[in-house]
Parts: sequence; structure tokens; C-alpha cells
Amino acid sequence: MHKIMMSLARFMAVLGGIALSALILLTCISIAGRLLNGFFHKDFMQGLLPEFSNWMIEIGVGPVNGDFELVESGVAFAIFAFIPLCQITAGHASVDIFTSTLSARVNRFLRMVTETVFAAVLILIAVKLYDGMASKMRYGETSFLLQFPTWWAYAASLFGAVVSAIVGVYVAAVRIYEFSTGRIVIVDGMEADA
Amino acid sequence: MSALEIGIASFPALMVLIFLRVPIGLAMFVVGLVGLVIVTDGTNVAFSRLKNETYTTFSSYSLSIVPMFLLMGHFATLGGMSSALFKAAEGFLGHRKGGVAMASIGACAGFGAICGSSLATAATMGRVALPELRQYGYAGGFSTATLAAGGTLGILIPPSVVLVIYAILTEQNIAKLFLAAFIPGLLAALGYVIAISIYVRLYPDSAGTRPPVPYGERFSALLRVWPVLLVFGLVVGGIYLGWFTPTEGAAVGAAGTGLIAFLNGGLTFSTLIESFYVTARSTAMVFFIVLGAGFYNGFLALTQVPQELSNFVVSQGLSPWMVLSLILVFYLLFGCLMDSLSMILLTIPIFFPVISVLDFGMSAEHVAIWFGILVLIVVEVGLITPPVGMNLFIINAMDRKTPMVETYKAVLFFVGSDLVRVVILVMFPAITLFLLPN
Amino acid sequence: QEVTLKLHQFLPAQANVPKLILDVWADKIEADSDGRIKIDRYPSMQLGGRPPELMDQAVDGVADIVWTVVGYTPGRFPGTEVFELPFMMTNARAASRAYWEMFEKHWKDTDFQDVHILGAWVHGPGMFHTKDPVATPDDLRGMKIRGGSRSINSLLSELGATPVGMPVPAIPEGLSKGVIDGTTIPWEVTPALKVPELVTNHTEFTGNALYVLTFVLAMNKDKYESLPDDLKKVIDDNSGLEFSIFAGGTQEDSDGPARQIAADMGNNIITLDAEQTAVWKDASQPIYEEWVADMDSKGIDGQALIDEAKTLIEQYTD
Ligand code: NA
Ligand code: NA
Repeated sequence: MHKIMMSLARFMAVLGGIALSALILLTCISIAGRLLNGFFHKDFMQGLLPEFSNWMIEIGVGPVNGDFELVESGVAFAIFAFIPLCQITAGHASVDIFTSTLSARVNRFLRMVTETVFAAVLILIAVKLYDGMASKMRYGETSFLLQFPTWWAYAASLFGAVVSAIVGVYVAAVRIYEFSTGRIVIVDGMEADA
Repeated sequence: MSALEIGIASFPALMVLIFLRVPIGLAMFVVGLVGLVIVTDGTNVAFSRLKNETYTTFSSYSLSIVPMFLLMGHFATLGGMSSALFKAAEGFLGHRKGGVAMASIGACAGFGAICGSSLATAATMGRVALPELRQYGYAGGFSTATLAAGGTLGILIPPSVVLVIYAILTEQNIAKLFLAAFIPGLLAALGYVIAISIYVRLYPDSAGTRPPVPYGERFSALLRVWPVLLVFGLVVGGIYLGWFTPTEGAAVGAAGTGLIAFLNGGLTFSTLIESFYVTARSTAMVFFIVLGAGFYNGFLALTQVPQELSNFVVSQGLSPWMVLSLILVFYLLFGCLMDSLSMILLTIPIFFPVISVLDFGMSAEHVAIWFGILVLIVVEVGLITPPVGMNLFIINAMDRKTPMVETYKAVLFFVGSDLVRVVILVMFPAITLFLLPN
Repeated sequence: QEVTLKLHQFLPAQANVPKLILDVWADKIEADSDGRIKIDRYPSMQLGGRPPELMDQAVDGVADIVWTVVGYTPGRFPGTEVFELPFMMTNARAASRAYWEMFEKHWKDTDFQDVHILGAWVHGPGMFHTKDPVATPDDLRGMKIRGGSRSINSLLSELGATPVGMPVPAIPEGLSKGVIDGTTIPWEVTPALKVPELVTNHTEFTGNALYVLTFVLAMNKDKYESLPDDLKKVIDDNSGLEFSIFAGGTQEDSDGPARQIAADMGNNIITLDAEQTAVWKDASQPIYEEWVADMDSKGIDGQALIDEAKTLIEQYTD
């Protein structure tokens, strides 16, 4: 079970990483296009190679239309896709200065309660995101420049949110099991990485 | 209970949860949610906000800079930039008394110029420099403390994730904040070097010696840091020179470091996947805190706590400098227990309105930028103040033989240097504002 | 007091719209209700979320009253876009009056049925602020311009410029860094964004303005219905047509001093006469056709809306 959940979380992280990399490339292409577009409009290029310059402009050498909103919807998906791995590897920032003085059993209890609440919150987030998506769909909202339906971006994020909720429930189940049996299944990771 | 009282009561509730080891983002989220339910007398407002707020928080164009900077820092390590920096600094400084420690600080400063995160800088440079420090006979606690302090340069020297968050919270210009952070960041590195030289004079046994490296080797090591200079020049330089926005700069930096790492063999399929895992964990951690803080702050605003606090402070008739000092001391004290990002997200919406109505004899924008840099420094001190200092934990975990107490003792020298710097920057705002246009 | 209303919006408290319109409106309501209504004001999205969420916040009751740009949620209120079409508006009072009347007739019980609208208005004439002078549509070729509305972005593409999407607060940075060569905004907001320092050319039109955005002040429907009749009356008396004209007019009145700042700095203010403006109008014809086709696909008679808006605006323009 743990293997399946870990693979699922890693798979999502890779998907998010690919999305993030794609956005990075998209942004670089857009910058290059913008700089080149300005360059071909420069007086000296217009004097030197007017036809070539105008041809480059005509075929669309310029910033990627709507790069801004693609980054926004893409990064939202990436972050939702990143949550499962953070969840299953106990990657959230927390303060253990006080709890380190408490017994292991008390700690297991606290962790069980915390992760159960966390799972409930992740479920709530996914359910409400679904409501948000439904409302975007109903109102027919679109993005500003590309005018793709806003609910598409919500749907992509919802996919990550649902997996996060599934992994969150699994982690909560593990912590309940650990508390009742005293056997540790998931070792705590480092506290924080940023 | 009135809304205001509920708002005030939420502070101790939040603190209790955090000290029960509830993840900080979750604690803020839950307190915000429960608080909203109580104040608005039902779940409607809280649940309605959730329909859009998770998506819109995560889909912020300005915040997309965060995962990009995190990925960039990881690629930089894969590309060998961290070890190249350390080798170059060590070549020039290593043979002096305490020189390898000073070189570690220099390398941290260099890595800070291409990495937006303190913990990543501490972890990366720790892996590179800690074995060498120990090899040359540097005491355990002194070595770990040096690297923990050096790690804070990751945030103090731009680019800086915490400054991005501050800029967004206070609606300030990210590029100007980066520019303003530059001199204070260099002062920080200088201060740490001075702290090291004082330390090795007081405890001569804490540092070994190492023979000088021939000049030819020194310069060839120096040449190998060109990718760092290139990336820093392109990213930070490009942002100032007007080639691109900060988010675009982060994308260029990530692509650039990725390319360099690929060309020198550091970036393979398996290390790329590993970078995704590391970036995923840190990004999710940061954004869950951002989400929780946004939810909590929305609830606080509704209870009017920030407004009332601001009115209260103003009605006390304290001098602006007194108020500023109190706020900075508050950060230093809380920094012993909390992490920097959460503190910024939690407190800036409360303190910034207070500061912005006070008259420091400067333009509103200058006050905002100067205050941002001061806050950045005091919250970063929190990363190395005992007992809870994330950098201390990270570095200490890499050297199991050194007791935490040894690290705690040695780090006080660096904390001292931080405090001196804060006082200087408070007294002379011009140091921070010097590089800004007009 | 009996009722406390939360007024949420995205600008800082000291900006023109909160200071000169929303505060004036809210103070008047507080006074007229003898203090039985209290309006708590939350500027700068303090209650959470981002500006495009404001409309949903009013629908769901997260806030009781919101002020928002209708175009922040493209596609949701298609009809009102008629006022954003290029060279539609003449001045803000006339256009706001036409907008409110068409709102009551067409959109009150359809697009806006989930909220109670208190006012509907437009800002003063939108125009170009550019680094290089713009007098003819050809001058725009190759420029990177931040467009203020969906249809302006279409127009920019049509004329060979590159539309760049960025939020209003990002304009100064975009201009100073060369990410954009110019922007479309009304005079009113130029001082706050330091636009006169960042560009040297401003292009105004005669007769009809390049574009405007449409605003609404929206109230949660249940909250409004829950008010006792006498308090409803206080709200009603301060809302609607008169308030909309006041709001639009107030925004337009802020244009003059802002224009003076640019003039005092010695900037080049190009005022195109009616004949020159006509060239631009002709050039924007494809945008009208595009919009009518888009509305057709949504089952809306776009041409009828255009004709009606034009007639009303003309009628109210003195
Ligand atoms: Na940095
Ligand atoms: Na600390």
C-alpha cells in the first residue's frame, strides 16, 4: 500500500515538475520572441533587412500570446500536483521544540490528530474546488487573452487536489495505525526545505 | 464574544497548535477557518471563499517565481556551481587563520546570489564545505555554526523568496527590494567574516591550518565560477536592466542553470526527477503556508484586529523609532521559535499598516523598502537563533558527532554580528536606500 | 447600529475611487440611516482572495458589497462589453447613464440576477500613453502595448501591435523595463502609476474615446432583502441612475488634474481631431464584426446592443 501511494505521489510530483519546466521554457521563448520582435522593429534592422525583418514579424516572432495566463493556470496545477509528495514525506514546516520533550506515545497521538485534520482539510479543499469549477463552468468565464474556459484550469488543479486528498487520507490512516500499534510506518522527514 | 475579541483570542489558539507540532500552514488555515465560522455565524463565508481561493492563491503570477527559484538552486548544485564557488574562495582564503570558514561564508554569499532560499543554501553549502572544514581541523560547533549563518545569505542576498513574499504583501516593487537588499547582504557576509576572525582569536584551537595554494591554481579555480557570475548577471542584472520581469528572470535562471548542469553532465534523467521531488516538497510547503496565512489574515481583517492595533499604537504617541524598535525586537524574540516565511506572512499584514502611518522623514516607498530589508534581516536571524533555528538543525544533522549545544554556543557570535548590523541599518537608512534610483 | 455591511474592493483606501466615490457613498448612507447602517470598508482585498473573485464574494456573501471591474471575469457578463468596444463612449456621464439604463433593461434580471446592483458606471476616456508618439493606427505597428480590455487587445492585434496582458499595478515596472512600450488607461490613474515620468507621449481622441471599462457596485442579494423597508429605502435612495452618473462623472473629473501633471512635465499630448479619429474608427470596424459574431454564438443580438448603446450615448452627450 505504501509503495502504491508513494508512487502515486512521486508520479504527481513529476507531472508537476514537467508542467513547471514547460512554463519555464514557455517564458524563455516568450522573452526571446519579445526581444527579437523589438530588434526587427529597430530602425537599423528595418533599414538593413526590411523584408526579412517584416517577414519575421509577420510569421509571428514576438512574445507568446497569453504567456502570463498560461503561467498562472499552469503553476496552479503544478502546486496542487506537488502537495501529495509533501504530504507523504512529512514535508510541511512545523515546530517540534515543545513536543520533543513529550513521550513517543503522546507524539504519536498528536500526529494522528493532526494528520486526520489535515486529511479533512484536503478533502474540503478538493470538494470546494469542485464547486468553484462548477460555478466557472456555469458562468462561462474565460481567460483574458486566450479566452480558454477558466474551468479547464480549475479542472487540472482539481485533479491534483483529489490525489492530495487521497494521499492525505492514507497518511492519516497510517498515523492512526501507528498510534494504535506503536509501529512506525512513515518516518518523519526533515522539517522544511525553504 | 465580539469579533475583535475572537480575533485576539485566535493568537494564543494559533500558538498552541503550532507548539503541538501542527504544520504551520495547517494551523493558520484551521484557525482562520474556525474563526471565520464563529465570526460570520456559519460555514457559508468560509466555504464560499474556499471555492476560488485555493486556486487563485496557487495561480499567482508573482508567486510562480518561488518554484522557479527553488528549481534553479537545485540545478545550480547539480551543475557543480556550489563546489566551484567553495574551491575558488578556499583557494584565496583557506590558508589564513579561520580561512576555510571565511571561504565558506564567501561561497555561501556567491551561492546566495543564484539561490532564493536560506535552507537550500545552508543544505547545499553544508554538503560541500562541512567535510573540508572538519578535515582541516575546524571544531564541530564552529563549523556547523559558520555554515548555518552562511546559509542565511541565501535570503539576504538577492534573489530572495522572502523578499518576493514581502513585496507582494505590501505591494512594493520586487526589483527595487532586491536592489536594496544588496548592500545589507554584503555587509552580512562581511560581518560573518569578522565574527569568524574574532572567534578564532578567542579560541585558537577551534581552527586548523592549511598550506597556501599556488596562485596559478587559485586563478584557475576562480575561472571555474563563471557560470555563477553568468547566471547572477543574467537573472538579477536582466531584471534591473529591463530585459524581463522578476518571474521571467527566475524562468531564465532556471533554464540557464539547467542548461549548464546538463552540459557538464550533472543533469541526467535521474537527477532531473530528483530535482522535481525536492522542488515539489519545498514548493508545496511554502504554498501551503501562503494559503493558510491568506486564510488566517482574511479572518483577522474581518475582526478588525490589524486596524485596532494600528489605532492603538498611534494613540500611544510613541516615537516612530520606538515603534520600529519594538517591532524588530518582537521579530527577534519570535524568531527564536518560528520560521521566517510564516512570520512574514502572519505579521506583515498587521505591522505594515502601523509602520506606514509613521513619519520617518522618508517617502512612503522608501520606508516600505527599508522596513522590508530590516524585517528580512531580523526574521533571518531567527534561522540561526537557538533553540529553534532551521539552519542549525539542517547543518547539525549533517554532522552527528557535534552536539547541538556546541553549535548553539558558536552561533552566538554570528547572531551578535547580525544584531550589530541591524542597529547600523536602523540608524543609517541611507545604506539600504543608497542604490535605489532618485 | 442595526446593520453592519462589509464593503470590499481591490484599490488602496487613498485611491480616487474609494476616496471620492465609495467613501462618499458609504458616509451618506451611514448619515441618512441615522447610524443604523454601518459600512466597514476593506480596501486592497483585505478580506482575502484576488480581484476576479470579488463578484463571487458578493454572490456568496463573503462580502456584503463589492466594487469590481466587470471585465475581470471575461465571458460572464458578455452584454456589458458593448461599452468596452473601441470608440463607443463619448464622456463618462453620458456613457454611465446609458450603461445604467441598459443594465436595468437587459441585464438586471439575467446576467446580474444573483446580485443586487447599486451602481453601474464607466471611467473617463481611455487613451494611449506611449514611449514613441502614436497618431495613426500604423504608428502602433510593432509596439508592445498593455490593452485595457478584451476588445482593445483584439484591436491592438488587428493593427499590428502586440497586446501584453498585465495587471494595472504592474504597468510602471513594465514600462520602465521595456516589457511594454505603452499602455492604455484613462488620465485619472496615470499619476499614481508614474506614467508621465515613464512615457513622453499621450494620445487623446476627439468625439469618441478609445475605450472604457465598466464597473459595478454589487450587493449580496439576501443581505439586501434582509434589510427592513426603511433601511432598504436609504440604500435605494442613494443608488441607481443618479449615483452611477455621479460615480462616472467623478472619475472623469479626476482626469483634468492628472492631464495637467503630464502637460506641466512638458510631455507631448497628441489630441487627434475628429477627422483623424475617424481613421481609427474605421480601423476598428473588424472588432465590431468580431464581437457581433461572438455574441451571435452566445445567442445575443450584438448588433442591436451596439445600436442601442450608440443611440443612448449620443442622446445623452451634450
Ligand atoms: Na539569494
Ligand atoms: Na530561531
